[in-house]
Amino acid sequence: MSGITIALSKGRIFEETLPLLAAAGITPTDDPEKSRKLIIGTNRPDVQLVIVRASDTPTYVQYGAADLGIAGRDVLIEHGGAGLYQPLDLNIARCRVCVAVRKGFDYARASQPGSRIRVATKYTKIAREHFASKGVHVDLIKLYGSMELAPLVGLSDAIVDLVSTGNTLRANNLEAVEDITTISSRLVVNQAALKVKRELLQPVIDAFAGAVKP
Amino acid sequence: MRWVLPEYFQDVLPPEADKLEHLRRKLLDAFRLHGYQLVVPPLVEYLDSLLTGAGQDLRLRTFKLVDQLSGRTLGVRADMTPQVARIDAHLLNRQGVSRLCYCGAVAHTLPATLTASREPIQIGAELYGHAGIEADIEIIRLLAEVLRIAEVPTSRIDLGHVGLFRALVGRAAMDDDAVRDLFGLLQAKDVPTLTERLAPLDATVRSALLALPKLYGDASVLIEARRVLPDWPEVVTALDELDRIAAALPGLPISVDLADLRGYHYHSGVVFAAYGGHSPSALALGGRYDAVGKAFGRGRPATGFSLDLRELVQRLPAPDLPGAILAPASGPDGLNEAVRALRARGEIVVETLPGHEGSWGETGCDRQMVWHDEQWLVVSLEGEGAAHG
Repeated sequence: MSGITIALSKGRIFEETLPLLAAAGITPTDDPEKSRKLIIGTNRPDVQLVIVRASDTPTYVQYGAADLGIAGRDVLIEHGGAGLYQPLDLNIARCRVCVAVRKGFDYARASQPGSRIRVATKYTKIAREHFASKGVHVDLIKLYGSMELAPLVGLSDAIVDLVSTGNTLRANNLEAVEDITTISSRLVVNQAALKVKRELLQPVIDAFAGAVKP
Repeated sequence: MRWVLPEYFQDVLPPEADKLEHLRRKLLDAFRLHGYQLVVPPLVEYLDSLLTGAGQDLRLRTFKLVDQLSGRTLGVRADMTPQVARIDAHLLNRQGVSRLCYCGAVAHTLPATLTASREPIQIGAELYGHAGIEADIEIIRLLAEVLRIAEVPTSRIDLGHVGLFRALVGRAAMDDDAVRDLFGLLQAKDVPTLTERLAPLDATVRSALLALPKLYGDASVLIEARRVLPDWPEVVTALDELDRIAAALPGLPISVDLADLRGYHYHSGVVFAAYGGHSPSALALGGRYDAVGKAFGRGRPATGFSLDLRELVQRLPAPDLPGAILAPASGPDGLNEAVRALRARGEIVVETLPGHEGSWGETGCDRQMVWHDEQWLVVSLEGEGAAHG
């Protein structure tokens, strides 16, 4: 398409992106929470939004199916970032990636260099690199949701997951024992689009940069 | 599932195969007319020689096998550029300039981009023996000619210079791992992480490295670069080269990206990439790689570019080519001469074989020869021609 396509995921990223879009003079014509439409128009005829699953945002932008996208750094690390520019930290949708275990589990002992630990996670790459840097052998169990359940039912010793308030962990008798990294969302840009459609994309990127809150 | 091909390998069928071959010939003809001589290196070579001067990336992307004759490890070429550099360094042994071109299939263990085949058809041109920017200008003009011949819609040629990054990290005394890390971050224009990593560095180098990812756009970027980058001789030389190249290419869709360092481990000067045809990644990549010849035992200045013909062809609109003409198996005097005359004009003429009436549309015929008023005429193929046409 000759205009701009922006890939966004529903929920927190969409809500916290609205002020940035507004700074670029873009207002969506539908609310993805209410509409079932996956392609949402805006007040600007040359700008459309596509609503994708958060972990798919980098793929859409890499394929050029969207020119711009907003993706959490967790998702970008898992994706690898090939074919993408990620020029801006938008400082939205902030949270941490943590190791969490059942209360009372001796994590310090279980994670000594040379020991072996079973970890359930959606973030296999982040978990693999984290435990490798500590010199801990890790057996990874890839799960797609409800990670908190795994240590409770004995599926794993620990989980690696996003933590924002810690309420879900507390409700399930788990505790965060180690921070791996902090996460916020980034603007990602298709490399070819930035070259070929720079006149169109640059004002949006600049408007986002100007509207990022410290 | 017996006839299923492995992922990212494909057959090219008519009419796409015709389109691909047509473009291959046109491009090789253009290279020839510019003085680039064709070389045909082998599909398989000893691995050491295939990977000479290449990076880790190419090593992982190369299929390997064991040679039953010598017991040595062979590689299926994943890139023809080192092969052509080997030919220039060792076989031709020319003292002056040598201009070479090539076209052939290469194999990748993993596709290079999301949309790429694992068996790209690489076509390219290389210019050896001249270190001045005249060679860079010639090779970029030739790339522009390729884009023109292929009629790539909305194309753009983006220039960069590896010398800038080398100069900056050279003064910062960093180890190889740190340099590789920075290189990756610059390629992704990952300013947030760069800011973190560069914090311990000297202020001049830090602010210059942080400026690079923002220095992209039209040629006016070079003016901004002189303002924000340190005026070290290596930096000034690199910017001068880019200025002179941009000035020597008027009328071409040239842009600049000073953080674009593709393959900096073997590139040494001006690098460039072509975008267009709504492709989500670069269509052609190229640049100067003066150090590769040295790895083959004879250092020679070198620059060139290559592209994947498959990817390029997919990005182009289908040409509106006329169909074939069906000729009867026999007829009044002059049939053979009439057929020959049509073929001499470039028309495809298919001769009828008995027992296949009604199937000529499948072979691409949309017209036929008929004997009328004592002469052979070409008229549209009745019935089936209409159904297929």
